[in-house]
Amino acid sequence: MHIGKWAALLSVFWILLSGYIQPLLLTFGVISIFIVLIVLKRMDDVDKEPKRISFRKQNIRYLLWLMGQIVSSSVHVTKLIWSSPDKLSPALAKVSVKNVPAKKQVMYANSITLTPGTLSVDLQDGEVTVHALQKSSIEELEQGDMEEKINGNWSKKK
Amino acid sequence: MFILDIVSSLLLIAGVFFGLSGAIGLFKFPDFFTRVHAASVTDSIAAILIIGGLLLQTSFDLNTAKLFFILLFLMLTSPTASHALAKSARHGGLLTLAETNKDKQEQTH
Repeated sequence: MHIGKWAALLSVFWILLSGYIQPLLLTFGVISIFIVLIVLKRMDDVDKEPKRISFRKQNIRYLLWLMGQIVSSSVHVTKLIWSSPDKLSPALAKVSVKNVPAKKQVMYANSITLTPGTLSVDLQDGEVTVHALQKSSIEELEQGDMEEKINGNWSKKK
Repeated sequence: MFILDIVSSLLLIAGVFFGLSGAIGLFKFPDFFTRVHAASVTDSIAAILIIGGLLLQTSFDLNTAKLFFILLFLMLTSPTASHALAKSARHGGLLTLAETNKDKQEQTH
């Protein structure tokens, strides 16, 4: 089932990238997808954590929210760039991610890096080391807004 | 389409502005870690805006899908690259600005 999903996704990906519907090229596509699937199967057997594909509503909603965050924090950092450098107060802090399930911790750290103004330096023992341009960004992270959202908890109002 | 062209050029101009800001920040900011922040402006919003602008220029065919893939992979790889840079700098013993200042103060006392 899980391999089947990957086969479908890879086929769509291949067709969209190539755009040619000729028997020879299609055969090449099928062969390459087949090789990738074999590798995938073998790697799943080794690391015992199959990567599942999911297009859940929750994830899409999170991505849209993240886009908004990226825009607002980019504008903030751009203001900092054009204003005098005295306003910077770079800070390094450890933020606990124990409430986030292990699989989502990577996504969380990546989201932190993706929003300008905060940068995840290290992820170890359930703590992300975050470097921020301004101390206030770290306080915002500690309030756990992003953490709640990545766990799919939207009930908390700002 | 006239309206699409206008929206697309607005997006492209905004993208160029953020890209330029990122480049200026790269020179203006004081140390390595803060510079990574400036570069991440170019990484994230400039890339989104420019690719968004280009998306509207396509005739909504295979090229649109390809641009989407570019955006998707940029969003996955650019934070990973920034993270790898920052992590190796940190593990290589590079101090942040605050820590460097503290060191200097301790030496003078």
